[in-house]
This record gives sequence, C-alpha cells and structure tokens, in this order.
Amino acid sequence: MSEKTGSVLVVGGGIAGVQTSLDLAESGFKVYLVERKPSIGGVMAQLDKTFPTNDCSMCILSPKLVEAARHPMISMLTLSEVMAVEGEAGNFTVTLKKHPRYVREDRCVGCGLCAEKCPSKVSSEYEVGMSQRKAIYVPYAQAVPMKYAIDADRCLWLTKQRCGNCKKVCPADAIDYEQKEVIEKLNVGAVVLTPGFQVFDATRKREYGYGDFKNVVTSLEFERILSATGPYQGHVVRPSDHKTPKKVAFIQCVGSRDEKVGNPYCSSVCCMYALKQAIIAQEHTHGLEPTIFFMDIRAFGKEFEDYRARAENEYGIKMYRGSRVASVDENPESKDLTLRFSSGASEVSSADFDLVVLSVGLEAPASAKELSDRLGIKLNEFGFCHTGVYTPLETSRKGIYVSGAFSSPKDIPTTVAEASGAASKAGAHVFMNRISIDDVIKDVPEDDVKGQEPRIGAFICDCGINIKGTVDVPSVVEYVKTLPNVVYAEENKYTCSADTQELIKKKIKEHKLNRVVVASCTPRTHEALFQSTIKEAGLNMFLFEMANIRDQCSWIHMNEPEKATAKAKDLVRMAVAKSRFLEPLSKSRLGVTPSAIVVGGGLAGLTAALDMAQQDFHVDLVERTGELGGRLNKLFTPEEGKSPKDYIKGLIAQVKASDKITLMMNSEIEDVAGFVGNYKVKVKTPEGTKELDTGAIVVAVGSEEYVPKEYMYGQDKNVVTMNELEDKLAHGHFSSKKVVMVQCVGSRNKEAPYCSRVCCSKALKNAIEIKKKHPETEVYILHKDIRSYGFREALYRQAGELGVKFVRFDEGKDPVLGKVGEHFEVIVEDTVLGSPLLLRPDLVVLSTGTRPNPDNEHLAKLLKVPLSKDGFFLEAHMKLRPNDFATNGVFLAGIAHWPKFIDETIAQASGAAARAMTIISKEFLETQGIIAAVNDDVCDGCGVCEPVCEYRAITIVGTGVPDKLKAVINEGLCMGCGTCVAACPSGALEQKGFKTSQILAQIDAALEGGAK
Amino acid sequence: MSSQQMAQAEPKPAEAGQFEPRILVFCCNWCSYAGADLAGVSRLQMPTNFRVIRTMCSARVDPEFVLRAFASGADGVLVLGCHPADCHYIGGNYRTRRRIALLRVLLEQYGFNPDRLKLEWVSASEGQKFQKTIKEFDAMIRDIGVNPINEE
Amino acid sequence: MSKIKLAHYWGAGCGGCDVALLDIDEKILGVAEIADIVFWPIAVDGKVKDVEAMPDKSITCTLFNGAVRNSENEHMAKLLRQKSAIVVSFGSCACYGGIPGLGNLTNRKEILELVYTKLPTSDNVERVFPQAETHTKDGDLELPVLYDTVMTLDQVIDVDYYMPGCPPTTNLINEFLGIVTAHVKEGAPLPPKGAMIASQKTLCDECKRKKAVKKIDRIYMPHEIAIDPDKCMLEQGIICLGSSTRAGCGAKCLEGNQPCRGCMGPTAEVLDQGGSMLSALASVYRVEDNEALLSEDNIATLMAQVKDPMGTFYCYTLPKSIIKRKVKEKKQVKKEV
Repeated sequence: MSEKTGSVLVVGGGIAGVQTSLDLAESGFKVYLVERKPSIGGVMAQLDKTFPTNDCSMCILSPKLVEAARHPMISMLTLSEVMAVEGEAGNFTVTLKKHPRYVREDRCVGCGLCAEKCPSKVSSEYEVGMSQRKAIYVPYAQAVPMKYAIDADRCLWLTKQRCGNCKKVCPADAIDYEQKEVIEKLNVGAVVLTPGFQVFDATRKREYGYGDFKNVVTSLEFERILSATGPYQGHVVRPSDHKTPKKVAFIQCVGSRDEKVGNPYCSSVCCMYALKQAIIAQEHTHGLEPTIFFMDIRAFGKEFEDYRARAENEYGIKMYRGSRVASVDENPESKDLTLRFSSGASEVSSADFDLVVLSVGLEAPASAKELSDRLGIKLNEFGFCHTGVYTPLETSRKGIYVSGAFSSPKDIPTTVAEASGAASKAGAHVFMNRISIDDVIKDVPEDDVKGQEPRIGAFICDCGINIKGTVDVPSVVEYVKTLPNVVYAEENKYTCSADTQELIKKKIKEHKLNRVVVASCTPRTHEALFQSTIKEAGLNMFLFEMANIRDQCSWIHMNEPEKATAKAKDLVRMAVAKSRFLEPLSKSRLGVTPSAIVVGGGLAGLTAALDMAQQDFHVDLVERTGELGGRLNKLFTPEEGKSPKDYIKGLIAQVKASDKITLMMNSEIEDVAGFVGNYKVKVKTPEGTKELDTGAIVVAVGSEEYVPKEYMYGQDKNVVTMNELEDKLAHGHFSSKKVVMVQCVGSRNKEAPYCSRVCCSKALKNAIEIKKKHPETEVYILHKDIRSYGFREALYRQAGELGVKFVRFDEGKDPVLGKVGEHFEVIVEDTVLGSPLLLRPDLVVLSTGTRPNPDNEHLAKLLKVPLSKDGFFLEAHMKLRPNDFATNGVFLAGIAHWPKFIDETIAQASGAAARAMTIISKEFLETQGIIAAVNDDVCDGCGVCEPVCEYRAITIVGTGVPDKLKAVINEGLCMGCGTCVAACPSGALEQKGFKTSQILAQIDAALEGGAK
Repeated sequence: MSSQQMAQAEPKPAEAGQFEPRILVFCCNWCSYAGADLAGVSRLQMPTNFRVIRTMCSARVDPEFVLRAFASGADGVLVLGCHPADCHYIGGNYRTRRRIALLRVLLEQYGFNPDRLKLEWVSASEGQKFQKTIKEFDAMIRDIGVNPINEE
Repeated sequence: MSKIKLAHYWGAGCGGCDVALLDIDEKILGVAEIADIVFWPIAVDGKVKDVEAMPDKSITCTLFNGAVRNSENEHMAKLLRQKSAIVVSFGSCACYGGIPGLGNLTNRKEILELVYTKLPTSDNVERVFPQAETHTKDGDLELPVLYDTVMTLDQVIDVDYYMPGCPPTTNLINEFLGIVTAHVKEGAPLPPKGAMIASQKTLCDECKRKKAVKKIDRIYMPHEIAIDPDKCMLEQGIICLGSSTRAGCGAKCLEGNQPCRGCMGPTAEVLDQGGSMLSALASVYRVEDNEALLSEDNIATLMAQVKDPMGTFYCYTLPKSIIKRKVKEKKQVKKEV
C-alpha cells in the first residue's frame, strides 16, 4: 500500500491513550486503540481520589472510557499487542497479535453469570491482590468494554479440560474455548505510545518488610483500601486484623531517588498522592493520625502548595522531614510496626505505627524493552522512552510519538496535556486524509411523529437470570400492556443483543411505534445503543426512555422477588409516563470557521501556531509586544546542547516562513463575540482595529518574572536574578569566586504562596554550569525544598557531586543579606545544623518566581473565562482538562496556565493545538439534543438564568422593541444540565428531554395511587 | 462479578399493615445515578420502597418537583448529587444545595418535618454510600411517619 | 339593543375589588350604558332570594371577587355559577386565595380560638363561639360555617375567565369590559375559556428599571436601604417577585419604589409561584469562590437570611400552590432553641 492513510495507532488504554484517541477521533482520524489487558482504564481506574481537588477518579474517568468505547472513529482492540511496526511515518504497517478472550465480544452482554459459577479463584490485579476474582472475569466493576475474559492459565477447562461451567451457564452462548491467537495487519500513518508505567516492586526494599509484614502496604494498595469499591469498602482498616489503625506512617521515596535500586530519579507524584491519601484517610476515620516521612516535599503543581498547607494546617497531618527511613520492624504479636529513622545530625529515633504505607515510585512499564525492540525506539538511561527537552512528545523514530508516564513519571494533568499534544503531532502525518463523520455514520430519514397519538412499544429484558431471577418479568410485561398508549410489549432474554436490535426495528415498523421504552439495565451504558437502534428504524433517537430494573432493582432486592416485581412495574410505568411526553429533538449543525487565533507569541503560542499550521489551518498570532519569543529570549544556558534562546530563534524563523500564519505584532484583543467554531474577534493593531473570524482561540500569554524588591536587588550590581546570571555565564561576564543562590524569591511567601516550579532545577542547572566552567568557584544554594522532580533529580545529584553546597532554611526564616564595606554577608538559619550560617559571597543570585500577567483579568473578561485565585488562567478541570476552558472553543497553554518547564510548555501547547483542531477540523459542530430552550412568549430577560449558567451559554439581549429584553441560549455552548431551567422564575426556560411536564409525569407515576 | 462482593444483609420484610414509606430519589446522571448503578453491580441490598428519577444534574431538580412529590403522597424525597467540586457541570450542585436549604425552611413552614427532604452527595464510586443513604433515610422516614397529606 | 346583565359579588375579600370596579372613572358610564347591574351587594340593594329567582344563565357575567372561606361564599359561588353565563374569577383572592389565603397556615379552630379568646380585647371566659345554628325563642339563626381551608373560586366552581390583581387594575377591567362590550354590541368572539385577562409575560416586561447582573450578595428588607429607583430591585438585594409574577398591573408597586409581592400570580408555565421564585432567588444568591469548602451548615446559615419564605413567596397564592395549606405531622419535632 502506498496510499497515505488517515489512521493512527495508539498503544495503551490508560488515560493518556484514551485522551490521545479521543482527540484524534474528534479531529477526523480513524484510531486503533490497542490495549494489552482485557479492558481499558489503566492505573487511573484504580485510584480512589485525585489531588489536588480530591475528585473521585472513577467519576471523571469513566465518562471518557465510555466515550472512547462508543466513538465511531475508534476501534478498541483489547487483549492485543503490537509485534512490529514497519514502514515510515505517514505509512506504517503494524503487525498486531490479538490474544484469545475465549469469550465472544459480539455475544457477551456482561451479565456475570459465568463468573458466579466459575470455581477457579485468582487474586485480583485491580485490587492489587487484596481480593480475588474468578478465572473468567472483568477487571473491575465499571470495566470498558464490559466483556468477560478467561484467564487461560487459571481456567480449569483450558488447563485440564474440566469444569466448563461458564459455557454451560452462559445464556448468550458467548464462551468459545476454541479461540486462538490472531495476527492482524493495520495500515496507519502515525503511532502514539501510551503504555504508562508500573509501580516499584516494594519487596526490593527488604528493610521495609513489605511482603513479610501484613500491615506494610504500598500506596496503590492503600488507594484501593481507601476506595469505596475496594476490598474493605472504603473503611480504613489494616490487613492483619481488619482493625482501624490510629497511627499511619507514609514512607516517601520508596523506589525513587534511590540509586541502590537503580532509580535515581524522582517519581514526581508521590509527595502529592501521599498528602492526598493522608487527608482522605483522615476524612474516612476520625482520630486517625497520619505522619509522612519525607526528604523534600515536591508540591510544584497548580494549587499543590495550597493543598500541602491545608494538609498540615487544617488536617494536622504530621510531616517529618529527614533522610530516608532506615527500617521497619514488626512486633510479631500485635503486628504493629516500628520505624527507625535519623533525627538530627547523627541520632537515630524510632516510632511505632499501626499501619505503614510505602509511597512506591513509578518505573518504566514492563513492556518498555519489548516496545523498544519491536518498534525501534530508544529508551533513556532509566528505561523510560527517550525524548528531548525540545521534543517532549517525539520518540527516536519519526512518526512515533509518546505521551504520559512512559516518557517520565508525571501526574495526570501533565499526562493529559501531553496526550492531546501527541494527537497533534500524530495528526500532522495524516491530516490530508481526514474522514468526515457523515462518511462513518449513515443517516436514516426520520419519520415525522408530530401530532401523532403516542404509540409506545415496551421491551422488557430478562438479562439472562439477572432480572428474571428476581423479577417476575412475564407479569411485568402483562402489566405494561395495560398502561395507556402502550400498543406493544414483549419479553427479551437480552434486549441488548444484536438480534433483539433487529427485532426492535421490526416491531417499530410492524406496530407503527412512535415511542420505545426498554426496561433493562442502566441508561448510562445502554441508552446510546438503543437510541441508535430506533434511529436506524427511522425514529428520532430522543423518542426513547429506559427503566433501570436490573442495577437499581433486581440486583439490589435479590431476596424480595415480590416487592422487586412491584417496583419493576412502577419503574416501567414511570418510563412509560415520561415517554408519552417525549418529543423528537434535533441537533442543529453550526458551521465552523477553519482557523484559529493564538494570543501570545512566546514558546507556547509559537508552538501551538506551528502545530496548527502544519495541519494546514490558518492561524492569526496576536502578540502584544514588538518581539516574538517571550521569556525564552532571556535563557542562555544550554539544555541538551542547545540554549533556549537558540531554540526559540529557530521557532520564530519557522513561524515567519509559514504562509499559514499571520503575525499581528504590537496588537491586542479588543473584543470577543460569537461562540465555539464561530468567534468574531476584534484585534487592535498599529494599523487600526481588525475583525477576525475564527473557530477557536488559544490563550498563551505567558507570565511575568517577579522583579525582586528584596535583597538589595537593583541597588547592587552584584545582586542578580537567575536569568541575569545565565546572561553573564553565556557572555563571559562571570568571574565570581563565591556565589550564593537564594531560592523562592517571590514564591512560597505571603504575597505569592505558590511554588514557581522551575526555579530549583534552573538553579541546579546554572550551578552546574558555573562548576563546569569555573570549578574553583564556590556555589551555595539556599532553599526551602529542592524540587527537582522527575529526571531533573539527576541535576541535584550532579550538582552535589560537583561540590555545590545546599543549605535549607525554614519557611518564614528567609536569609538576611547585608553588606559590610564592600563585602556581602548572608546569614541563613541552617535547619540541618540548627544554627545560623554566615556566608560572604561576591555574587548573590535570586531565583525569582513567576507572576501572572497583571492584565490577565482583562483578557479573561473578554474571553469570559476564569482566573485562579493566584491570578493564572483557570482551566475547565484541573485533572482531566488542562488545555480547555469551560467556555467551549477557548484553549490554554504554557505558563499562562501555571509555571512550567520548556518541555512541559511545548507539550501543552501542542495539546492546546490538538484541542483547538478538534473544533476547526470539523465542517460543522452538532449541538447536543438535550439543551435548554427559551419560550419567547414568556421570557422578559429578567436575567436570573444568565449568571447561573457555568458555560456562559445564556445572554440577555434586546428584543428589538425598546427596553424589552429576552434570554437567548447559545446552542453551541449549552451543555444541557438544566440548572437555568430550575432557576427560571417565569417558566420560560425548558430543558429538552427533561421537560417539566416529563418529570412531573414521572413523579406522578411513581406515586400513583397516593394523595391528591 | 456478583460473587466479588458479599451481598449485604437484607432488609427485614415489612409486617402486614406496617407503614411502608414511599420515597422518591432524584439522582444526577453523572455521580449519584452511577453510584446507584454501582450499588447494583456490587449487589448491595437495600429497602425496595424508593423510586429513582434521573436528571442530568441535581440542579435540574426544581423545588416544584419536590413539592409535587409531597403533594402526591411521597413520605420522603432524597436529592442526590455530585460532591462539591465534583459537579460534572462545574457548579450545578452549589445551586442545588442553596435551593434545598431554603426549601427545607419552607417545608417546615408548611408544617412538614423538614427531614423528609434530604440532600446528599453520592459519587460514582460510592455504591456503599448510596446503600447507606437509602437505608438510613428509609429508617428515618419510618420514624417520622406517614406524610400527613396521606392521612387527610 | 338590550343591555347585558352584570353581577358582582364578594367572597372572602376586603372590598377593594368592588371599589376597583367603581374606580374606572368615566368608563363606569359606559358600563351603565351596556349593562344592568342585577346584583352587587356593596353598591346596589338586592337580596339573595332575588338571585335565586332568576332563570339559570340569565346573568350575562358575574364578577366574583374574594376567596371561598366559608359555607356562604361557597353557596353564593355555586348559585351565581348556576345563574350566570360567564363567571370571572376577579382579583387575587378569587384567583389564588390572596391574603385571606394565608389563613391556610392555620385552621378554623385556631382562628376562632384566637379571635374569640386570645385577643387583648377578648372578654370571653365562658368561651362562647359562634355556632352555625342558634335556637332562640324568636326563631333559629344561621351563620355561615367557617372552613378549615381557604379555597380559590375555581376549586369550588367552574370558572370562565381570570382577572388577577389586588385589586385588578383599571386597565385590566377596562380591557375586559371592552371585550364584553364588543361581544355584546358587535358579536366579537370572546377569549377562549380559561383565559387570563392579563399579560402572558412577567412583570419584568412592564418594569422600567435597569437590569445588570443578577447576583445577590446580601438580602435587605425594603426599609433597610435607600432603594435606587432606577435599578432592578432584586439586584439591590430586595426580594421582588416580579420575575415570577404575571404582568398586567403596570408595575405600579415598582413605580412606587416598592418590590412586587406577586399579587398577579404566576405565569401559565409555572405551577407554583412560591417554589419557582424560591428557586430563582436561591440560584443567584452568593455563589462564592470557595464554594467547595462551605459546609451544609454554612449554606443553611446563608439561606436563613431569607426570612419567612412562606410569607415572602406565597403572600397571595398559598391556596393555589402545590401543597395548598399547612399540614400537621403526627409526630412533632422539637425545634432547637
């Protein structure tokens, strides 16, 4: 095949792979999402909560998994692995091995009867071995796809030709012991690797007794212990006796920052997750006393420092700073644990705990070596995928990209930003072959049911015996037939099976049904299936209603068949009552302007603009100053052999050479009107105001460097900022003999309580630069913590090896700089020595923090997007939407979002570009069916709804009659929550699909026979 | 999967003539309805006397729905939504809790025991909490007694 | 051309509606021109037995004001319905219960107890209460029976048209009389049965105040601040029911720099005026940046700033609300002090 293809292969179904897949699919590319396990979800599916918002992990992840599974552009290939990738970027041939599931995916309905009858128990991977699953299983309750799989090594039939229970009981005849491995070939234009990570094997740290002592658990196990779906249903108990622990120790850096185990790097996330687990554990259990044993607290991300402060001050979580915990011993009788650790310079202390949690680090995934061999990509010295500071998403092989923890340990938001970024990079190889959604889903002409008397067809599901085992389904069917407007009702063994879909379509035609009610399981997983079925039969998909008589009836009332049957009848009656009031809804299509505006011409803005230009989109780049490049213009110390200044020069040249990018220098956004896909933006330029049509807007306005008022800055030429030091070093103006670097100048103080993230590593980098060029120069770094996370930990080590000296001072005890004659005197309270230290440097370097632009507020108002309390732009969701604003069509990248490194900025900028391209690549945007609507006959624009809408989808406008107002819903922005509808005091607002009349019908039907 | 977790203790069957409360539960699509589903997937047993109405967001629950439910004879109404900061629609639940707080004052003025209306946060992973919420609410409503409208 | 026959009766009302009909200035002459007043106790001498003697449907139009609160109100409502071709529910009390409707927060027993024994002026140690029937040597006396629950007119009889307002404003009365006149004189069609003789919109349609962002940081009683006469009342923190109240009155209260209290009742799309306004107010009342950290108690305290939601939101519409009246729990809860 020589023809280029519009397909991309994504390897790994964790949050990174799912995000990359969704972004690609939404940009018009066919995606093959390959996952080695039976279901997608990755480690995030195992987590209880996520920091720093304590969001429920499954709550935010599961909609994305379901969306990926349902997406017509995504083929999900589970139990599959990539064997080889041949060819070159734009035209790869992928060899895929599909392992047998032994369960036919097209038949399995996920009823679970097989697992119930399976005699073979296996320890559950999802519960990290703390509970058991069967040999035929789904990894976790909300697994996607909800298809069972047989563990071939543990299945009695497959190993010994005995048992065969699952085949006997499966009512869908889905079990197929004969399935074999299948080799498949795929043609794709690009590949994205997202295999994630594995956790450090804690048994390798023998001194902590993991594996021997029952009450020493890993953080992943503790995550399951905290989870409501976990082995103890969310009760914090210790494994040995299931008693509630009082004193819980968290030991940090287990398998991180540890050369002995071969992992010298920092795992980046453990400090934060330990704080989170300590907080959550305390919330679960009154009186629980967590203590965290750590070396540095690396709370460098957005709102992390706040979170840390809350953990300490509000939750009273004890923080013990010191060197690594030496050992853990167990009292053989009580199973309590004793920790030994250093306190002060040479003393050793010990303390007793009921439970010890090991904050295990992140390692390259087990498949890393295989992937490297099979795909021909390089791994770095730590076994992770090799990337560069200026190429954070690129592997060593062209056309193969990486995102997430495979390239370095990282948290979820950074992963998601990268995942979107990788989608942008991959898209650049296939953009000429975009596929329109209309080519994928064929539209069936719709019957007009307006004015027709409702003719309701009801399909009641047995779900094998899942429903029928408890609920008397035939009697429900007979009952439903007696309800008004029900013209047809029948019982199905599995209403969701493929043959029943055909049957439903037939019955719609036969009985001229204009409403369909299915009583089976939950609409959250099955509504879309039935909606597409009735759509294929020519009915509007919104003329459908479901009654959940399995998950919310038969399964929770298993021992009360009569009451469960009565309830099932009620639930179906409610659904029928609502369905009588259902109306066909249309999704309108709105055209899209296929271009974007990027605000800001720094690293983030230039990167985002180039990424979009590369896929042939026009970009207007608006820069406020007369110069491109932003803060990188001031960074001279080379990284990986190239200075940031040189890198940005190259980028600027590319942007200037691009015929797709219009540069608007010395220009500012003046006004923003319109909505996603169709913005009208006024830009003030030196040549006057220009009006631009655009589909999406990327905010990449950067931030400012803090200008110190302290430490005699500006008064003495030998007090310089870190950037000024880089300038000196790069241009031969450095000759100092003794340098003191002061960290956190303008960060982590009263005025700016947050951590500026990059200053520690930047200080290390420059200290190393000094030591390399001037080995005789003494360098001191005065700090609160050294936050050189990830592989930057190597800088910390290297600096130490080169003789850089580190002095830690406590918060609120900033060093004091004075001058005696011509000499500086720096006095710092060294917390390790416990006494003041006097230094006499000839150069003082201030690690200045990052401050949000003062005029962010103005831009935020124009764009109708929020700022965080620190003044940075606030994304739609701190965990899963790092590139998006709640306002659809406006995106975010770079340090306007939060301080970050060059590689992180590049990844997020590509991510913002990818997100913007999910909009501007579409010919049209489809509104949601379930949205709010205004009744103009009633509405007077009182304005109650306007501030209530979180998506700013409502505006109050004039009616044309002087002084008369009304509310207008922007259908492109409305997300259909119905908040405004309940708020509307005049009854002028309605929520389509959840109209007041429809819900009242349900209420009345639920309480039929009651008062009134 | 059903064997993964032990079925919880079943509720006692109601004796003949005993007051059997009728409870209406509003669940938001994203968190609490998912939590209720999870309770089902986990086979957590609970009283049968509640009926769930799904809305996209708890903030769709108009106070008029609650009043209508009481007027139609519901003995208790539960409104379940996403935890603060977890709302799928950013801040819908904040509006919900304001309305419910004020509505409870109103119900009291109507002479109802305001505890007949309860707002609770149940996340998608809190099947257990859903069960607990239903059980406790059922027990509380049994204690409060029949909706006075039903007695008239 | 023969004149139409017009009746105007009062149930549980204050008499304001009767005065309102007289208050239409010179147009009253027009009324006299087209109509014979056949029954109007406040203005014209007439007896119930005269009405009873009239043939059924012989009264062209009865304007019935006041709520139905006792047996006489009900009897008269039914009698006039029988004798009239058109019955108009006239004024807030007839339409929604009005101020007398607030009696549904209590009951017959409590009212009699209060009025006949507990008032400062009561001197009733024998605890004598009015009786429906009293036998005296001169004969039997009858008094109407006071009901437990105040009802709206349409909860007792079939109503053709509604004209809300406390009292209905001159323009609405004129509008309706114009319709009837045109019907009588020119055979113009009458509005569909059940029609509301008022606007379909809310009061905001008639209110001239400037609206900006609906975000309330604090709630004030009207006497607590100097009210800006040009700014939306609600945006100043004063609970104004205008946005949930049907227009037609001309926003007279707001012109007088007082908030709307909802006498025109809700729009056709709203089931329960109080519930609807309660929801609107709660929705725009101080959503904070640190919202996620607020406890349920914090919220309860915040919302407790809305004093007396019942009296505020149901001032005129309690008998027409979803719940309609106060209930009595068997098991009383102890209120925390």
